[in-house]
Amino acid sequence: DVLQTNTDKSEEEEKLDVDRWKSIMRSQAPFEEKQVNDKVETSGDGDNQKEQGDDFKHASSPLEAMRDLVVMWRQAGRLVPQEIREEQLQELSKLTTKSSRKKYLKYLAIKEGHKLALKDKQQRKRAEREAATLKKTDDEEEGDDQRQLKNTFFLQFWSRSLDKLLAWRSAQAMTFGQPLVFDMSYDSSMARREIENTVSQLMEVEGWNRRATEPFHLHFCNLQPDGPYMKELLKRYGAETWDRLHITSTHHQHVDLFPQQQLVYLTADSPNVLRTFDHSKVYIIGALVDRSVHSGLSLANAKRLRLATARLPLDEFLDWETGGKNLTLDQMIRIMLTIKDTGKWEEALKFVPKRKHDGFYQQVTNT
Amino acid sequence: MRIKVLPMGSTLILNVRIYLKSFKSFTIMTQSQLLPSARFFCTRDPKLGGREVDRRNRVQSVKPVRIKNNSIRRQEDEMDPRGMSSALQQRPSFLKSVFAAGTAKRTAEMLRRKSSLVAEEEEQDEEGPEQRATRRAEKMQPPDRPLSAAEWKKLKESQGNSPRFDIQMMGSLFTCGAQLDIAKSLLTFVAMETGTLSYELLLRYLTLCVRGGHDSEVFDVYDIMRANFPTLDTGASSLFIKSFSRTARWREAIGILHEVKKVLTPSPRNYGNVIAAAVLHSDNTTAWALYDELIQNELSPLQETWEYLFKGASKMRGKEGAGISQTEQQERLLGILMDMRNNQIYPQLSLASTIKTWFESRTEQKWTGSWTSITPKGVCRCCGSDLESIQLTAEEYQQLKDRVMADIIQGQDVFNKTTPEELQRFKVFVQRKPAFDVVVDGLNVANVNNDKSKQSETLLAVVSELQRQGLTILVLGRKHMLRPSKSWQKQNMNLIQQKAHCFFTDNISEDDPFLLYATLHSGNHCLFVSRDLMRDHKACLPDGAARRLFFKWQRGHQLVVDGWVAAGRKVRFQSIPSYDTIVQTSGDSWHIPYDDTEDRSTYEVPQRWLCLTKKD
Repeated sequence: DVLQTNTDKSEEEEKLDVDRWKSIMRSQAPFEEKQVNDKVETSGDGDNQKEQGDDFKHASSPLEAMRDLVVMWRQAGRLVPQEIREEQLQELSKLTTKSSRKKYLKYLAIKEGHKLALKDKQQRKRAEREAATLKKTDDEEEGDDQRQLKNTFFLQFWSRSLDKLLAWRSAQAMTFGQPLVFDMSYDSSMARREIENTVSQLMEVEGWNRRATEPFHLHFCNLQPDGPYMKELLKRYGAETWDRLHITSTHHQHVDLFPQQQLVYLTADSPNVLRTFDHSKVYIIGALVDRSVHSGLSLANAKRLRLATARLPLDEFLDWETGGKNLTLDQMIRIMLTIKDTGKWEEALKFVPKRKHDGFYQQVTNT
Repeated sequence: MRIKVLPMGSTLILNVRIYLKSFKSFTIMTQSQLLPSARFFCTRDPKLGGREVDRRNRVQSVKPVRIKNNSIRRQEDEMDPRGMSSALQQRPSFLKSVFAAGTAKRTAEMLRRKSSLVAEEEEQDEEGPEQRATRRAEKMQPPDRPLSAAEWKKLKESQGNSPRFDIQMMGSLFTCGAQLDIAKSLLTFVAMETGTLSYELLLRYLTLCVRGGHDSEVFDVYDIMRANFPTLDTGASSLFIKSFSRTARWREAIGILHEVKKVLTPSPRNYGNVIAAAVLHSDNTTAWALYDELIQNELSPLQETWEYLFKGASKMRGKEGAGISQTEQQERLLGILMDMRNNQIYPQLSLASTIKTWFESRTEQKWTGSWTSITPKGVCRCCGSDLESIQLTAEEYQQLKDRVMADIIQGQDVFNKTTPEELQRFKVFVQRKPAFDVVVDGLNVANVNNDKSKQSETLLAVVSELQRQGLTILVLGRKHMLRPSKSWQKQNMNLIQQKAHCFFTDNISEDDPFLLYATLHSGNHCLFVSRDLMRDHKACLPDGAARRLFFKWQRGHQLVVDGWVAAGRKVRFQSIPSYDTIVQTSGDSWHIPYDDTEDRSTYEVPQRWLCLTKKD
């Protein structure tokens, strides 16, 4: 009974103010004035001419209209960035379809999210560090002599020392090491985003190679001096670092540098399986990220140059589940480094992403 | 592959089979042998002769193909050892084509039925979303009456005081189709608590209003959103356009549409809503202007939009049209039909019946429309006139040939599919040989059996069958087929090479492009045998027009082996339609294929027709 009366009471209340939100919203409308002006303008009042001009300018600039739309999409809860730069806005208005614009905005939003998360983390770390040093100084004051000089055999191992060691190794690889070629002739078949991704992967490749016990002598062949690859590489490495890298970069074709019989083009489309790693061969990997539907690009390239082709023995060793057989460039270099060192596919193919397969086949195939 | 004949069609089908047998057999048969409905076709017999002449005049160059085409079908019928009695069990030939609507779905269903494993999986899948839905409902149970602010507060707290409580609640109110007052009370609660309402919340409320048809409430929301926010996003704009178009304030929807245009191309639905409103208020000038704009933006109009335009025209009849004359209106509607023809669009049943109504309501001419189907020979069962031939004109044929060579075989890079040497070798081979009657995709045909190890036998069976019909055959294959193995036996391959011309490509080359080239090179009469739907090759063509041309040629020239090839069983081919399934007119009549089912795949064509004829 008590409950019943309650509901009755509330219903009475509701009848009174179910539309109250409207009056609240109306009372605080910031754009009401403009609305009124618009109405006056349409009725043809001369006094508001100037304002009308302003309004017109504001609306007519397509970039501004686009910015407004992005703001409203943000408010509507869509995945778009909070802040958008002028150049990004221009990029956005260059896109022709609605879906491509949405995709680009989503990409920007995710990138922005990562950036913010990183900043957040850095701030937290800094705060922690400050707290730790504060604590340390407190500790030092108490037990001063414990922090005094330690008797050690080594100087502190700085990362600079490691860099020197690795540079020494890769310099040796440049003189005596086995060549591994990255074919950079695919710039015309990739979009800007794909080229950016390729260059990121190439940087990883160089990093993994440098840290290996026995690095390859990396060749970036077909690298056009003013091509998009080069621009992106210089942008990411910086000109100075790029010049100091222990790799051979050339605008020559791989067929001009090495005897043809020695070359083997690695491509997932090849009908031949690479069973054993040959230390006397020069393997070529296409520096290509293909999000597009054109398949068989690198196989066509190899066919044109009459090169031997091979694919990794993925199906032979792995219970493949999903995903393309084409691997990223950094996965490829790690596989190649491992197979070069150990000669065991089981070891090398550990770098194939786990989500793509359901483990190794149990019966060990003879290699 | 045996598919049950629909019960309604069974007598009809029998008739069709008899009709098909050949015209001569009619004269031999006595009347008593024919079923009553078969006599119906008999009475139409005299007319047929005239039509044959007609057709010969119309498509002279194509004539040889038709004979070839028929000869295959006739031989197939004559050689059938089971004779007439089996005709009943056979599928009707007009349902047999791979390109007939629904074939893909039926095949898929049959395959699913075969593997019970898959069925179980499906059940599990079905459970998934339901469970998820119930879980969500439990999490966010909307109230069944408007709540006061205090009650909302309590409810919010009981559900963890989430900051997005209002948005989530509005969402669940939308999904369960709650009363407007409940949503209003939620808004009041939020407005009182926070002093304002977010754009997102208002947008969700707007969605609820528009779906519920509360258009007067939408006006209020419009004023409030206009007043509180600098612009509208596309979602809100679309909703306002939709809602305003239903009311007397529909002209404001045009304003909103113009606003959207500043940044993005409005969607076909946005245009459709406003056009519908214009038609509803008899403003044909605006409706057609917007329709033109829609076409200019290279959007494809929704079928609903066309329906409105046709309906509007039939409604306006007799009255004084606003701004646009009757004849102009007519021209434009016929223009829509031509657009459908050019873009190979088939109307849905509802649109087709609207078109029928419009034609029948034309006062200056007497039109009658009826639902019908087409005989396998391409004759309308209703008016008895011939349909357009499936064959391409010489000009179209040349165009297609060039496109296939440039875009499918060579593409951006010859090395993608073959090598220049191989292509040259093939070109020389084709030129040296006589024109082929039929080109066989060896690898594809070899797999049309239940026993995968008998590939060469299957291929031999198909080739022998074609040879028996006295055709010049080309078999395309890959070099690995010549290496003797269990599935590719040497003696079979030798026999095939005796019976047919053969060309073997490299193992890493694609054989389909060669198939297309050889068939197109041999001329309009040449057919090819493959089960492949060639969708990937069609996709290589640069524009829609070329793709439609390819599809038309494919429907007219692709022979598909019927069912499985097994030892001791005769090889049969599915029939090739002789007519084109497309919106077409001869001035006095219109024939419009339409979709009456949902299960048509994109590479299939409808089987039902609307026949419209003018009476003098």
